[in-house]
Amino acid sequence: MHYLSINKEEWDKAVEQMLMSFTIFAAVENEFGIDYEELSASNISKIAYNRAKPSTPLKSFFLPVRENVTSGKIGNRQRVIMGAPGCDVEGLKLLDEIYLDKDFVDIYYHEHRKNTVIISFDCFEKQEHCHCTTYGIKPWSEEADLSVLKVENLILLRVITEKGNDFANHFSVTREMNDEKLLALIDEAHTAAVSKLTEAGDGLPDYKTTGILLQKAGDEIWKKYSSRCVSCGACATICPTCSCFLLIDKPGFEKIRQMDACQYPGFERVAGGEDSLFELSRRFRNRYMCKYVWKPGKFNSIACTGCGRCIEACIGKINKNELFMELAK
Amino acid sequence: MTGIMNIYKPVRAKLTEVIEESPLIKTFVLIPETEFSFGTGQFIELSVDGIGEAPFTPSSSPQVTDRLEVTVMKTGYVTEYMHNLEPGAFMGIRGPYGRGYPVEKFFGKEVIILGGGCGLAPIRSLLYALEHIKDKLERVVLCYGSKTPADCVYKPLFNRLNNTEKFEAYRTVDKGDEEWTGPVGVATTLLNKIKVNLGKSVAVVCGPPVMMKFGTMKFLEMGYKDQEIYLSMEKNMSCGLGKCGHCMMGKYFVCKDGPVFTYDEIKDTPDIWK
Repeated sequence: MHYLSINKEEWDKAVEQMLMSFTIFAAVENEFGIDYEELSASNISKIAYNRAKPSTPLKSFFLPVRENVTSGKIGNRQRVIMGAPGCDVEGLKLLDEIYLDKDFVDIYYHEHRKNTVIISFDCFEKQEHCHCTTYGIKPWSEEADLSVLKVENLILLRVITEKGNDFANHFSVTREMNDEKLLALIDEAHTAAVSKLTEAGDGLPDYKTTGILLQKAGDEIWKKYSSRCVSCGACATICPTCSCFLLIDKPGFEKIRQMDACQYPGFERVAGGEDSLFELSRRFRNRYMCKYVWKPGKFNSIACTGCGRCIEACIGKINKNELFMELAK
Repeated sequence: MTGIMNIYKPVRAKLTEVIEESPLIKTFVLIPETEFSFGTGQFIELSVDGIGEAPFTPSSSPQVTDRLEVTVMKTGYVTEYMHNLEPGAFMGIRGPYGRGYPVEKFFGKEVIILGGGCGLAPIRSLLYALEHIKDKLERVVLCYGSKTPADCVYKPLFNRLNNTEKFEAYRTVDKGDEEWTGPVGVATTLLNKIKVNLGKSVAVVCGPPVMMKFGTMKFLEMGYKDQEIYLSMEKNMSCGLGKCGHCMMGKYFVCKDGPVFTYDEIKDTPDIWK
């Protein structure tokens, strides 16, 4: 891992040139907040460096809402996702475990991953419900292909993977950055970001403890918190690690992979009508048990990254962290 | 795209025969367009073109590889379409998926099989597989219960088994009819009548959830160890690949980690009988 630096004006020009060879999606600031937009010469200046997560989770680039997984075409043009937050990059690890499982590789997911360079932005801003550090995740990534941060008029590139290195080589005007003062400044800024998040997450149980608490939780608490749930599935849709889907049949034995959510009624219903998640409170409980107890028992990656999107998206204003704090009391 | 096989693409299979087993149950005889083999207890995703697919454990012998039999009860949207298919139609097959019965672990032992309702379909495949290796087994006992005598599928199977060395088969019904002279009661009551050689015996349970639960409890009461009881679990196995999440049962994807589990493996998982 090493740093390269480039002057912001030169970077903007270089990114514009990159549009000839790559399709670039970047986190930009628009009237609704921060979200990914396909980059063009007109919005390069709106790229939201150093800021908190975009509204859309990174998973959406690899698991689109609907995809024909039998005859759908994936172009070979390389994609660049610029501005993925550290939490989402961490969340992608679980999707990789599931979709690139050596027994059954999902070729569509595989191709999307292969054709995509992930550039993460260091996050120095805390949104209301961010709590990544509670689950041991840093607000910057050392596992994307490249990470980018902006210091005054400089763009700094943290080169992490070979793919990231290949991409960085496209920028002819970058310089190696070994300035110890600047490196110390980055460290300080990282530490400050962690402190801010840790302070806000005070009293919230960590990932493992949450799993232990959830296993002991009685029906009453699930009923209490699910009473405001309308089964809209927004929490799962916006979650960077929820990846359940339906296979829909189309003529010619075609299959459409369509994202699904365990919060929708009938998710586990079998022919004949048996449905172990028929009750709302059971469905509600299912999602948390899956994230904090069952997936950790099966996979190596974390199934909640503390991005807080499910809290932001909930129409019933259900805050899972309030539930966990109540259990931790 | 890269040369990786597409896991979602079904293999086409020609429907060559439809056997009416009971008013609600039909067996479909299929010839896949490419070579297809499965292990007993594994399942396939069988699809009706453009309509949908559903998981079934083949009911034919795993030794037969040029054709496949699947017994289907008309019970929902997709199975209703299946029941309307006629010979000559093409269906789609994905699989085989999951972990079936580890028959090599049954060597030197007696196998006591408790089945109910449509659970006899996968059991028939298991019985074929056990017949094939009967020299290595001590004894195979089938205890099967159906709601009524008419609901029992594969009736000739029972006579054939009772005329096969080392095999015994018993039937009961929840409710008899005028011609029924056999036992009346739930399938587990049949277990009261057989003597088992504990320690050299394994139990297999396959049937509706309520029978799975009481069958397991009965075998435990009889003295079977948790790891000697094999259960074929039924969940909403949709993708069959351990990805779509519909069949999660605690930390297990029933489609990939099962569908056959020992009771020992799943006894601490909540809601296994639901």
